[in-house]
Amino acid sequence: MASRIKLFLVVFILTAIGGGIAAYKHVNLGLPLRAGELPEQWLVDAKITFIAPPEGGKVSARLSLPAAAVEEGLGQEAGSVGYNYYVEKDQGEYTSIWASEKQAGNQAIYYRLSFSPRRKSGGEPLQHAGGGLPVAVNPGFSGATEAAAKRVIQRAKSVSADPDSLFVGLFGEINAIDASQEVALLRKRYEEEAGDRSAITILGIDLLNLAGVPARVAYGLRLEEARGSQQPLRLVEYYDGAYWKVRAPDEPSSTLDPDKFFVWNRGGGALFEINGDAEASQLGFTVIRTFIPIRDLTDLRDSPLIVSTIFGLPASEQAVFRFVVLIPLGAFVVVVLRNLVGIATLGTFMPVLLALALLEMPLKSGLIMFSVIVGAGLWFRFLLARLNLLVVPRVAACVVIVTLLMMILSVVSYKLGMRDGLQITLFPMIILAWTIERMSLIWEEEGKRSALMQVGGSLIVAIIAFAFMSIPQVKYWAFYFPELLLVLLALIILIGRYTGYRLSELFRFRDFKEA
Amino acid sequence: MGVVGINMRNARYLLPNNPRWLYDLVDNKLRTKDLAVEHHLAIPETYGVVRSPHDTARMDRLIGDRDSFVIKPARGSGGKGVLVIVAREGKYFLKPSGVKLTLDEIRHHCSNILAGLFSLGGRRDVAQIEYRVHPARVLTEISFQGAPDIRVVMLHGYPVMAMLRAATRESDGRANLHQGAIGIGIDLATGKTIRAIHHGHPIQLHPDLKVPVVGIQLPHWDAILDIAVTCHEMTGLGYLGVDVMIDEALGPLMIEVNARPGLAIQLANGVGLLRRLEPAVERCKSHPHDTHQQKLDFSRKTFAAK
Repeated sequence: MASRIKLFLVVFILTAIGGGIAAYKHVNLGLPLRAGELPEQWLVDAKITFIAPPEGGKVSARLSLPAAAVEEGLGQEAGSVGYNYYVEKDQGEYTSIWASEKQAGNQAIYYRLSFSPRRKSGGEPLQHAGGGLPVAVNPGFSGATEAAAKRVIQRAKSVSADPDSLFVGLFGEINAIDASQEVALLRKRYEEEAGDRSAITILGIDLLNLAGVPARVAYGLRLEEARGSQQPLRLVEYYDGAYWKVRAPDEPSSTLDPDKFFVWNRGGGALFEINGDAEASQLGFTVIRTFIPIRDLTDLRDSPLIVSTIFGLPASEQAVFRFVVLIPLGAFVVVVLRNLVGIATLGTFMPVLLALALLEMPLKSGLIMFSVIVGAGLWFRFLLARLNLLVVPRVAACVVIVTLLMMILSVVSYKLGMRDGLQITLFPMIILAWTIERMSLIWEEEGKRSALMQVGGSLIVAIIAFAFMSIPQVKYWAFYFPELLLVLLALIILIGRYTGYRLSELFRFRDFKEA
Repeated sequence: MGVVGINMRNARYLLPNNPRWLYDLVDNKLRTKDLAVEHHLAIPETYGVVRSPHDTARMDRLIGDRDSFVIKPARGSGGKGVLVIVAREGKYFLKPSGVKLTLDEIRHHCSNILAGLFSLGGRRDVAQIEYRVHPARVLTEISFQGAPDIRVVMLHGYPVMAMLRAATRESDGRANLHQGAIGIGIDLATGKTIRAIHHGHPIQLHPDLKVPVVGIQLPHWDAILDIAVTCHEMTGLGYLGVDVMIDEALGPLMIEVNARPGLAIQLANGVGLLRRLEPAVERCKSHPHDTHQQKLDFSRKTFAAK
């Protein structure tokens, strides 16, 4: 009995702590309990990293800011320890500047911006700032490239009437997969110089300038949640005779969609700059969706709750946590389905890993790919069985085969026009190989019925865990109220002491009659 | 009904009564055998132990000119990886089903065992080669191939339930009930079979052999119960199942001890385990110093079939 009291005490304390913190956050900090009560926000994290000289030295970093951030008063925040920070305004352009007298080693500077979905991308037509008219800068082509460039422009001009249609025509031609000889020559030159995909943007800008349309590079970012950070996106800003306009080089005929793009910097200036003896400087953007505006976030962070510091992390690390907090939920589903329902699975937590992979791709194609790989892998595994291999080499052989299968499946589905096939690499490969190995053993030892039952059981558990983990409300609680995981812990502890029948046992013992 | 489910078995009987560190005594059959020898229990003779890939090369010497033997993983569970050889024919070894194996195939089976294919958690293992039990006539008559074994489940050293498992054509020589073997409940007091089930349904006749399986008197019943109680004493496990086979010539032999005995035994006996476990717990509380014989007497008297 005493142990029972202890159990309930532990459960009670966990629930009280978890629920209490959540209630405090809700009541005192105003964090809504239901998902979707606050409008969704985009949170953009700009992170500049560089290496200051090891002996320490004077460094300063400049990051050009979107005009909207200052003028419209979007939530913004700059972070870095040991730096002087201020914002400089010059001719309608804003730059934030971090300066420090003595910094050594790896440095990271953050600038964070949050805004609700906007009707403006920041690339709207803008009058020329400096006074007078902008002048096209001669890009300085020479020799064969000049001749080629002129021919390309001629062709584009012959089908266009104004700078807008010239822009569309030029970028249409240089983006084309089967490019003309001239474009191919120019592209090759620029790729050699620029060395990456931004070559096309620079080439287009130079061609526009050569054609007499002032053009320059602008920077923006894509508003899409991705794992990891994205590089600044190079856009083209050109002058149509009255206004400066910004367009994306790969979609020349449309204006920027404010739901997809956010223009960070225009005016042709540098996006960021590090002065001093710094090396390896880099700028990356991380974009995530969030429900909490930066202003409220600051309240949350100043509150005495350590658990809420998850929001103090840079956006890129937060994005990782979005997945990490879901794993306990998956584990909980496994506990319920195994100990209360009694579904047999292959490996205890294999379904959780499977569910995490499914979260990243459409469910149906994920399941099809899983079945295809396991089915084909099983067939190869039976072929391998005839060679009488030892166990570890056999599983390793399975890993090789699974890898090849994944590649083939990706290529085939891509050729068939199904892009989902490419996400197959998200499946945990070693887990797949072990699944195949264990399944084939059960197949031999206990027959195919038992093997299929267990794989089916794993799939069902994975799908239920997936469904549970993709409920927006559940995700919201897990991420914004991570202390509720303590309540989940209490529940798991309670289930851990459940001694009643499993649902499957009611079925198993259904005919039981006492003799 | 008094039927015990997995959750109850684990939480109420396994976890409190079987400390983790005792598990290895029974999960490693070599250690169980050593213990059994110390306690003068009859066990199948070990011909040899294959401990390394090198040993598989000299398997033929371990086997010698024996016609029949059994190869088992020391850490196997649920009968996985058990290879039974009943006879030889030239250079071939015969399984009970008549399938012929070469020495190389037997070696490969051993290296699978060594790699941990059949062991709990896939850890490295050793293979033991031992005497093949020649089951007593009365048992072979009710089993389609395979050797029937007797399982006695005990709590605190009190035998609470027993059953006999016999193979069918469907179970392919195996004694696992969910693979189609039949489970036959045994009266603890007398050692007579009282009830049989096949796929959860009561039967009177063996489904393949069409001979009655109920009402058969098992030989050596006193000795079998005695072995079971000794197994509790030597391992210290509070809740355990003991598997015994009856050899025609040698009598009852202890095959293995199981620290996580299954629940099918209550189906075979038509009695919920709780009805037996609870009196055993009470008795253990009221008479904490019961001797070996007192435990036997208590069980046989209290749990006799009515």
